Amino acid sequence: MLETLQLMGQGFVSALSFMNILAMAGGVALGIIIGCLPGLSAAMGVALMLPLTFSMPADTGLIVLGAIYCGAIFGGSISAILIHTPGTPASAATAIEGYQMTLQGKAGKALATACWSSFWGGLLSCISLYFFAPLLAQLALKFMSAEKFWLGIFGLTIIAGVSSKSIVKGLMSGAMGLIISTIGLDPIDGTKRFMFGQSFLAEGVNTTCALIGLFSMSQVFILAEKEIKKRAKAAKFSDKITLTKAERKKIRPTIIRSWIMGNIIGILPGAGASIACFLGYNSAKQFSKTKEEFGHGAIEGVAGSEAANNAVTGGSLIPMLTLGIPGESVTAVLMGGLIIQGLAPGPELFTKHAAMTYTFFAGFVLVQFFMLAIGTLGCRGFAQISRLSDAILIPCVTVLCVIGSYAIHRNMSDVVVMIIFGVLGYLMRKFDLNTAAVVLALILGPISEKGLRGALRVSGGDIGCLFKSPVSWVLIILSIIGIFSPFLMDKFERKVAGDENVDAAVQDETLS
Amino acid sequence: MKMKKTDIGVVVFMYAFCAFFYAYSSKLSAGSKTYPLFTITLLFGLTTLYLIQMIIAARKFGVESGVDKVFAGFKALQFTLSLVLTIVYFFLVKYLGFFSATTIFMIASFVYLKVPLLHSVIALVAINLLIYLAFVLFLGVRLPSGILF
Repeated sequence: MLETLQLMGQGFVSALSFMNILAMAGGVALGIIIGCLPGLSAAMGVALMLPLTFSMPADTGLIVLGAIYCGAIFGGSISAILIHTPGTPASAATAIEGYQMTLQGKAGKALATACWSSFWGGLLSCISLYFFAPLLAQLALKFMSAEKFWLGIFGLTIIAGVSSKSIVKGLMSGAMGLIISTIGLDPIDGTKRFMFGQSFLAEGVNTTCALIGLFSMSQVFILAEKEIKKRAKAAKFSDKITLTKAERKKIRPTIIRSWIMGNIIGILPGAGASIACFLGYNSAKQFSKTKEEFGHGAIEGVAGSEAANNAVTGGSLIPMLTLGIPGESVTAVLMGGLIIQGLAPGPELFTKHAAMTYTFFAGFVLVQFFMLAIGTLGCRGFAQISRLSDAILIPCVTVLCVIGSYAIHRNMSDVVVMIIFGVLGYLMRKFDLNTAAVVLALILGPISEKGLRGALRVSGGDIGCLFKSPVSWVLIILSIIGIFSPFLMDKFERKVAGDENVDAAVQDETLS
Repeated sequence: MKMKKTDIGVVVFMYAFCAFFYAYSSKLSAGSKTYPLFTITLLFGLTTLYLIQMIIAARKFGVESGVDKVFAGFKALQFTLSLVLTIVYFFLVKYLGFFSATTIFMIASFVYLKVPLLHSVIALVAINLLIYLAFVLFLGVRLPSGILF
């Protein structure tokens, strides 16, 4: 206990170094920009910035990525409030009340509510990160080869099932990723596998290039196929971006409720910020003393949605850091960032690399303060950026994808891999396949393979060894639940979103 | 839900993908191909399951094209040009150097996508500056230099 407190304290001291503070401020600002641009997503932004973190110390690199993640989730609310177009799906519910407030000349108030609630949602979510992550990591200590194999399968069933329109298609995407993960030298005996005479494939398909291609380059192609429209002008507002004491008091219970819900949703693999925002909004309405204000610019509606979606951030890191199971696309990309730094999710993060992990946690706490400050002070500027045309974004993002993938090994072959995955990602998205499942399979594939072959070697080829331990059976059952969880999630999402009669235009924009 | 004809393409692609890797795996040693064969079998099985789902959907609800939904609002010329420009950009980087190629690529894209001149100039300068500061100065990446610089 004392040792943990000491690590926490040291984490804050390290996180307050000049370099880390710069990383937080820069990451948050960049995240907000990415979040407020309706064409770009948090996962895409984090993927695009991965190469920049290579040469940084692990803690600083992770702080940058965490800051982009938090900034992007909050940033989506700016365009949702000012131009009625959520920057990310996580802010879809914010648009309902936020834009109504803008129409009434209270845009500053709506933005202040979004900033304040996002700050508290994110900050409180760090409590669970500090409390649950080390406990869950202890559980991971019990995993041997067979359990690691099943853990990989469980991770895949969760992300493949939940993020796809068709469960089978999601699983197909995961299986395709597993096949791609076998490219390169055999991890056990070093035999060349599926390298097609290309020596740069010896270490397998570079995960970062695949990430940039699947999330960022594919988005360029998605933007390029649509008609380029002028975005609506961001509403000009003259009211101050502040909240009165009474208003803060009014939204306090809403923030606490949304924090609890958002945090639980974040910890559950598969559920994400887009579900949390509607759930937060829904509960705000349910418990409000002024229900009649909802639909006409209720401050509690904005608070409920924004506190919930930001509360997801801390929670979602828990299964990723401890078990290596990212619950959604952004955390899958963040896990890529962790592995690139030479770190593996699991108990070692809390023993061997505890100093780094607690610095990252402390950084994650401090990022929330930067988000509050930068968000409040820079709202007007970010509002203008949110109008940036896709015609400018297309070439700019392409250039960043090319330089990002080139910078990994200073090799143009990586750029080829990135473009191939970009085209693959585009086609996958068009035909409702799941790009996040491919990324996760690329990460989990080698772990699963080592687990499977390790277990078979020890047992002399007896496949029954995979079913012997109780932990294996728990993971098998969880995998089966993982496959069927989309039915429940789908019903749940439809219920919370449907209840609110969400503006069709907002929904369309979000889903596209 | 009706079966989409476009999904036939998905199924064909997945089977072809399995066949391609299966053919290559025959050259591997027994130990090396254990896991790839497991993954190929998994994809093959799932694709077959999806095919069965499609057949059931076709019998129950009928068949629809799906192309109109998948490619709704598709701007073929704009998309093709963006793709071609990206590939040309890749080769230009190799022969002209990174900054020259980036400038040409961005100007060509902005002209085609009808971006106002002032916005184009700002974006061009900002991106080149960002790359120089972040990648060249901060990360120390030696960018490809071609016949220009």
